[in-house]
Amino acid sequence: MPGASTVFSMYTTQIAGGRNRPEPAAGRCLCGILPPYILDRLAEADDPRVREAAQRTLEIDTEFRENRLAVPSLAAPAPAVDFILKRTVYDAHHGLALPGDVVRNEGADPVTDGTANRAYDSLGLTFAFYKEAYNRHSIDDANLPLDASVHYRRSFNNAFWDGERMVFGDGDGLVFNDFTISHDIVGHELTHGVTQYTVGLVYEGQSGALNESISDVFGSLVKQYARRQTAEEADWLIGAGIFTPAVHGQALRSMKAPGTAFNDPRLGGKDPQPDNMGGYVDDPLDHGGVHTNSGIPNHAFYLVASAIGGFAWERAGQIWYDTITSGGLSPNADFKDFARATVVAAQSRYGKGPEHEAVLKAWSQVGVNGNG
Amino acid sequence: MRIRVIRSGGLLGMPRRAEVDTSGLPDSAELERLALEVVTETPSGAAPGVPDGYQYIVTVDDRRSVQFADPGLSDAQRELVERVLGEGA
Ligand SMILES: [Zn+2]
Repeated sequence: MPGASTVFSMYTTQIAGGRNRPEPAAGRCLCGILPPYILDRLAEADDPRVREAAQRTLEIDTEFRENRLAVPSLAAPAPAVDFILKRTVYDAHHGLALPGDVVRNEGADPVTDGTANRAYDSLGLTFAFYKEAYNRHSIDDANLPLDASVHYRRSFNNAFWDGERMVFGDGDGLVFNDFTISHDIVGHELTHGVTQYTVGLVYEGQSGALNESISDVFGSLVKQYARRQTAEEADWLIGAGIFTPAVHGQALRSMKAPGTAFNDPRLGGKDPQPDNMGGYVDDPLDHGGVHTNSGIPNHAFYLVASAIGGFAWERAGQIWYDTITSGGLSPNADFKDFARATVVAAQSRYGKGPEHEAVLKAWSQVGVNGNG
Repeated sequence: MRIRVIRSGGLLGMPRRAEVDTSGLPDSAELERLALEVVTETPSGAAPGVPDGYQYIVTVDDRRSVQFADPGLSDAQRELVERVLGEGA
């Protein structure tokens, strides 16, 4: 993609960029939520729409796995390649159709729409963060182009990762501001992509809460990295600035003090996040309360980063990054499995020193046994 | 007709519930038409959804209940949940 891409550094050969998306890790589906065995079941479902969708996904999945086998050079460890940032921002024009029309391509001048420019800049910042902190080439570690759609629906109070791109609502202006307002929200959404391409944590129950927590951890680290803040200086808030001044709340979540981010009837009440296993909730909604129970691993990360000190993306972030990229964790991992994996990751990278001790202590403080 | 909408998930993760009784409402015919279209056309079963996407449960007269999730809502699904929840355009 000469001319269309930003090449960051000169390592060895440039791998294929452009619109040919590299495959996810073997065994992962594009949607990032359903493991293949569930897709197999859905492919036999009664409903023709469900059946067709599952069959389509399985076909793509199989294709990817076969391609992967045919290209052994892409197997881990990844060869050194250039960093290629290729952003595309689309405008959904307040409609339901995605992605919408292209409004800004990589390298193009800023446009008049500030929302599109903020999305563009935050995608670039998140790309730079993963590159500088962990030598990761985009969210799939193979220079996946980064796409975002802005102005999704009208007054839409949300942002999400649809398996391929970030989608932003404008907020209603009464309770929520524009969802591109905060770098950590973009970092959070793109990290759902990183999780999808690495450990593939199933978005349900404890593995789902871990999936959420990993997005909060690295979303917060993107913001801390941009501000060059130490663990002590950081606010550890997710989505600060997302609420209008009319709302009694400072952010969506607090990793430092889960359960204290907001308290407002317009949001449905008080921040419900627990900071230890004693407060774990079995919620029939929200995939088993994934945005609630994530407070527990979120707080564990905060405790590790605070005990180690300095820039949190360096050692604490590296331990979490190693944990999700090591290949040793199951997509169905629960908190205990994850805690143990972070202990192993800390020890393999830093030995049995203060980092290892900080990780053990943090999990014990949030009521999870990481010592097994 | 009583139409109940529960929206859960989302980046915030706080559920929102709303219920309307259409009898006596000026737009009752339109709401009832939308609700019938949604319960008839939405496939039965769970809607898996995407990370941070909203999930919706629509129940009509405590008898017929359907689930769907962002993205990929139909126009009728979008309009119904926005009107019942009092959000959107
Ligand atoms: Zn999320």
